[in-house]
Amino acid sequence: MVNKLIKEDIKMFLTGNEVLAYAANSAEAEFMYGYPITPQNEIMHTWCKLLPKTEAGFLQTEDEISAGFSTIGGILAGKRAFTATAGPGNVIMQDAQSMAEMMRIPFVCAVMQRGGPSTATVIYAQQETRLTCYGGNGEGFRIVYSTAGHQDLYDYMIKAFNTAWKYKFPTYVLADGYQGKMREPVMLYDPASRGITMVPTEKALLADGEIGVDRKSIHMRNTYNMEEELMEVLDSYQVDYDKMAEEVAEWEEYKADDAEILVIAHGIVARSARTAIDELREKGIKAGLYRPITIRPLAVKPLREAVSRAKHILFTESANGQLAQMVLEKIYGLTTPYSTLFKMGVGVTGDDIVQKVENIVKEGV
Amino acid sequence: MARTKIVLAGEGGQGVQSIAKILVEAGYEANKEVLYIPNFGVEQRGGVSIAFCQIADERIGEPRYSKGDIVIMLSDRAIDRCETYVDKNSTVVYDTSVCTKKPTCECKEIIGIDANKIANEQLSARVFNIIILGVLLEATHVLELSDIKNAMELALGKKFDAKPELRELNYKALEMGMSLVAQKAGV
Repeated sequence: MVNKLIKEDIKMFLTGNEVLAYAANSAEAEFMYGYPITPQNEIMHTWCKLLPKTEAGFLQTEDEISAGFSTIGGILAGKRAFTATAGPGNVIMQDAQSMAEMMRIPFVCAVMQRGGPSTATVIYAQQETRLTCYGGNGEGFRIVYSTAGHQDLYDYMIKAFNTAWKYKFPTYVLADGYQGKMREPVMLYDPASRGITMVPTEKALLADGEIGVDRKSIHMRNTYNMEEELMEVLDSYQVDYDKMAEEVAEWEEYKADDAEILVIAHGIVARSARTAIDELREKGIKAGLYRPITIRPLAVKPLREAVSRAKHILFTESANGQLAQMVLEKIYGLTTPYSTLFKMGVGVTGDDIVQKVENIVKEGV
Repeated sequence: MARTKIVLAGEGGQGVQSIAKILVEAGYEANKEVLYIPNFGVEQRGGVSIAFCQIADERIGEPRYSKGDIVIMLSDRAIDRCETYVDKNSTVVYDTSVCTKKPTCECKEIIGIDANKIANEQLSARVFNIIILGVLLEATHVLELSDIKNAMELALGKKFDAKPELRELNYKALEMGMSLVAQKAGV
């Protein structure tokens, strides 16, 4: 057990990376594996700075391939381990992330998106949306929470550990360089004070008892001999995933009830959309927001209902429609027209959205 | 809702991010809503370094904004990069002793100051950024001098205690910055 640092409510003025380190401690994480890449370095810097007090563990590996597999190793050894990465690091960690999917490892990873493709910028983007949801050679048996600020980072990092350990699918907090580097006030708390019970850390391979006497042997596989054998396993994963999806899917609506123009955005861009919607409402334009919080799995029913109610949809992202692609598949059959405001690797401001919506209105909804 | 949007831009190493941190810390300690995003490239030195700061009375929505109320440009490259953050409501401040050109953007007001020259000749090159902090304080009027001094103690208190004359030097730089704007505004 580690020492938890946050025992009562405390308001702090932190960067998002610092928030994530505190959140992992509050979620009783015992070990972090990582490799430096901007803009997520301060997660491990902060985690390490706190080690004398938390008595948790840290290993800096030689690269992200190793960081991913070490995280899996730590979990198999019975530790509540996690990692964090960004950009090209997220790309090369996909092998380990696929393994976590295949072996149903409660792998927790914070992704602080930076510009892409390749090295691009160290600053910000939403261009790892598809990669984080569907990367690797597999089917995307993952849960991805897209956060929109520091309170979200704290809340959902804690939640990510519970989701991962309860359902045994890799779970991500998907944020970005803005959220990692920016400073804003945040309320830190002990999860128990909010009625949150942490799902216990189970020993996977090193379970108690004698094999064959007290318990069966544990055989976790990522290799299969026969095609059908593999499909049987994956079909059962799909059943688990679909059942889980109903329980974990989260979304948020803002002034969406009577919205004629519905903005669909995730993460920090959804926060800019709120600013825009307030301004548009003052100008008499009925705009609203639908923000998927879990972008994998998406909450399909409320999404379809919100889209059906609106006269026009505006997708906006700091990417070229990575979320829009996933959403469009889920709203197949609906005929609500849509427009797009995509800025690849660049922040979307409230003004950007206001102007775009005003143009849509001018052209006639 | 009162919200002040600040864009602070210069060369990496000029101390732009350091004063942005002091500014937002001062806002936080004064119970304002604040949000700060640092923005820079992969270089340790050089390159344009930009700080986007917001200080508001109510919860802040958008973290990034299109136009700043105050846009401070501390190098030629900063002028090139940051004219896009200026509109007719913006006040632009640039350093005439660093920049070799004048911003040409349409805006409410352009204020030229020679903070770098003053720092080198009258104080110390190391407090150039603190003069700029004084400029910001006077140009925005959202925080008190005492708020900034408190935040400086949090950031630099240990250094000040070791060398008390540094505290005086930094205070002088702050006041110098404030007076630079006050003089220009009076013209």
